[in-house]
Amino acid sequence: MNKRPFLALFVAPATLAAIASAAALAAILQYAFRAYVPGSLNPGGLTLDNFFALLRPLYAQVFIQTVWICLLTALITLVVAYPLAFALVRTRNVALKSFLLITAVTPLFLGEVVRTYSWIIVLGNTGFINSVLKGLGIIDRPIQMMFTTFGVVTALVHVTLPVMVIMLSAALSHIDRDYEKAATSLGAGPVKAFLTVMLPLSMPGVVAGVSTAFAWTFSAFATPQMIGGGKVSMISTLVYQLGFASFNFPFAAALSVTGLALTFAVLAMAKQAIKPLEKIGAH
Amino acid sequence: MSAERIDPREPVSPAVSAPVADAAARVAGVQIDGVTKRFGDATALHEAWLKIADGEFMTLLGPSGCGKTTLLNLIAGFLEADGGEIFVGGRLMTETAPYDREIGVVFQNYALFPHMNVAKNVGYGLRMRGVAKREIETRVAEALALVKLDGFGERKPRQLSGGQQQRVALARALVIRPKVLLLDEPFSALDKNLRGAMQVELKEIQRRLGVTTIFVTHDQSEALSMSDRIAVMSQGRIRQVGTPDEIYRRPLDPFVASFVGDVNVLPGRLERRIGETATVLIAEGRLSVSADTLEGIAPGAAVDLYVRPDAVRIAEGEGLVSGTVATHVYQGSHVDVLVDVAAARGGRVTVRVPGHGASTRWPAGTRVSLDFSPADAVAFASDVA
Repeated sequence: MNKRPFLALFVAPATLAAIASAAALAAILQYAFRAYVPGSLNPGGLTLDNFFALLRPLYAQVFIQTVWICLLTALITLVVAYPLAFALVRTRNVALKSFLLITAVTPLFLGEVVRTYSWIIVLGNTGFINSVLKGLGIIDRPIQMMFTTFGVVTALVHVTLPVMVIMLSAALSHIDRDYEKAATSLGAGPVKAFLTVMLPLSMPGVVAGVSTAFAWTFSAFATPQMIGGGKVSMISTLVYQLGFASFNFPFAAALSVTGLALTFAVLAMAKQAIKPLEKIGAH
Repeated sequence: MSAERIDPREPVSPAVSAPVADAAARVAGVQIDGVTKRFGDATALHEAWLKIADGEFMTLLGPSGCGKTTLLNLIAGFLEADGGEIFVGGRLMTETAPYDREIGVVFQNYALFPHMNVAKNVGYGLRMRGVAKREIETRVAEALALVKLDGFGERKPRQLSGGQQQRVALARALVIRPKVLLLDEPFSALDKNLRGAMQVELKEIQRRLGVTTIFVTHDQSEALSMSDRIAVMSQGRIRQVGTPDEIYRRPLDPFVASFVGDVNVLPGRLERRIGETATVLIAEGRLSVSADTLEGIAPGAAVDLYVRPDAVRIAEGEGLVSGTVATHVYQGSHVDVLVDVAAARGGRVTVRVPGHGASTRWPAGTRVSLDFSPADAVAFASDVA
C-alpha cells in the first residue's frame, strides 16, 4: 500500500515549475551560442562569438562595476541590518518589536519599482535631501546623487535590507541566551560579551546574509536602471539594453549566462575566504 | 534542632528566619532578604527569606514553576528583583552588575562556548579579568586537573561527552574563584549512572574548595544526597528549610511530605491535644504524635497521618492498620511490599522491607497487620473534606 498517498499530488506542481524554469534556462543557454542576425528576432547558427565579444574592455568594466556594487551593497546592508536584527530579536517590548519588524520588512511588499521611485524623490536634484540642504543654506548647488554609484548603492541597500534582516534575525534568535549569561557571569560586560560570544556565534548568519544579499543585488534590475539612468551600468541593465533596445538576444543571453557563472564564482570564492569565520560559530 | 517554619501567610522577619542556629552563627555566604519577583501579573517569587552560610551546600528543591530558577537568576543578576535585597559575602548585590558579582554559574545545558576550545572556555573568566597570560595557563591547568580533564584543553566542546562538558562547565565556573557557585539542574541531561558519579564528584570538589553552593533541582533524591540543607519551594514560596534528614523525617506540610520521598497517607481524626502531643484516632487504633504540625486544629477535625514506607513494619501481632498483600516490587537492596489497606488514602500502603525475603515470607494474598512508631508519623490537617 502507498504510504504517502498525497506525494504525487504535492510533487506534480513543483515538478512542472521546475521543468518550466529549467526549460527557460536551457533556452537562454542555447541562445548564448547562436549568432546574432541583425534585423531579425531569430538567431543564426552556432557560434562562440558572443563570448569573445564579452572580452572587450567595455564589458569587463561592467562586470567589475557590478561585482563592486554588489559587494558594497552587501557589506553596507550588513552593517545597517545587524543592529536592526539584534534589536528585533532582543526587545521584549511588543510595540517596538512590531515597529522594527514593519520598518525592516515592509520594503519587501512594496515592489522594487515603487521603492526605487521613492528614492528618486529623495535623491533627485530637487529632491528631499538637496532641498533641505539648500533650504538650510548648507549648499547652493544640488549634490549630484542620481545617476551615481552612490545613489544606486543607497537604493539597493534599502531593497536588500529586509532579506538581510530576516536572515540575521533567524541566526541571532537561534543563539542560546545562556551563552551570553555565561559570559556575563564570568565577568564580561555587555560589549565584551557581544564581541567575544554573540558576534562570533552569529558568523554563519552573517555569511549567509552577505551571500544572499550579493546574489540578490546581482540580479536587481529596476533600481540600477532607474537610479543609474544608464550612467551606472550593471550586467542586468546591460542585458536589458542589448536584448530589448538592440534585440540582440544571443548576446544578451551570453551576458546573462556569464553573469550567472560569475555570481557562482564570486560566491564560491567568498565561501572559501570566509570558511574560517563560519567555523567560529559552528555549533 | 527543629526545622524552620516559613509561614507563607505572614512574612517572617530576618530575626525569626535565623534560627537555623549553627548555620546562621557563621558569616552569611548568601542572604536573601524578602526577595519578590513578578512577571506581569504572575508572582514567581513571594518574599523569599533565606540565609546560606559560607561554604554551605544549599539546594533549592521544588517542581517546575516553583520559583527556584527565578531565585537563582536573581542571585546571579540575570533578573532584577521587584522587592527585597540580596547579599553575597555581606555585599549588597542589588546595585551590582551581574558581571561584577563574582558568581560562578553552571547552566543546565552547560552553555560552553562552541567556538572556543576547552582551555579557552575555562580561561574566559580570567581573560575578562585581565589576568596575566602565564597565570591563566596555570590556573586553567589546575581547574582542569580538579575536574579530572587534564590534557583536554585543545578539544572543542562538541568533541566531549555530556559528563565531560559538565566538568568543563564546572571548571569554568570555579576557576574565577567565585564567592558563590550556582548550579541550575546540572545533572538533568546525564544518564542515571553518570549522574550518580557526578553527584559524588561535585560534592567532593565543593567540600574541598569550601565554596558556598546553591544547587537547583527538582530531583528529591539528588537533593537529599548532596545538600547540607534544602529549601523546599512550591508556587513561588519557600515552604521549609532544613537538613535533608529534617526535610525527610519532619516535613512541615503535606506538600513537603509528599514531594520529598514516598509517603503513605492514613486518614484519621484528632482526638485531643495536650501540650506538644496530639492523639490521633485512625482506623484500628490511636497513637500520640507531635502536635507541632497541628497548630490551630480543633479536636474532632479530620487529620492525615503521613508515614514513610521505610518506617512501616509488618507486625507479628496486632498493628495499627491491617490489609492484604497485593504485590511486591523488588528493588535489589529492598523490596516494596504493596498492601491493600481499605483505611489508607488511595487504598494502598507501601512497606519498604530491607533484604529480599519479603515475597516468600508474605506472599500475595496474605493478611498482614502493619505497625509504625508514632515518632515516625507526622499529622497534618486533612485537605480532603
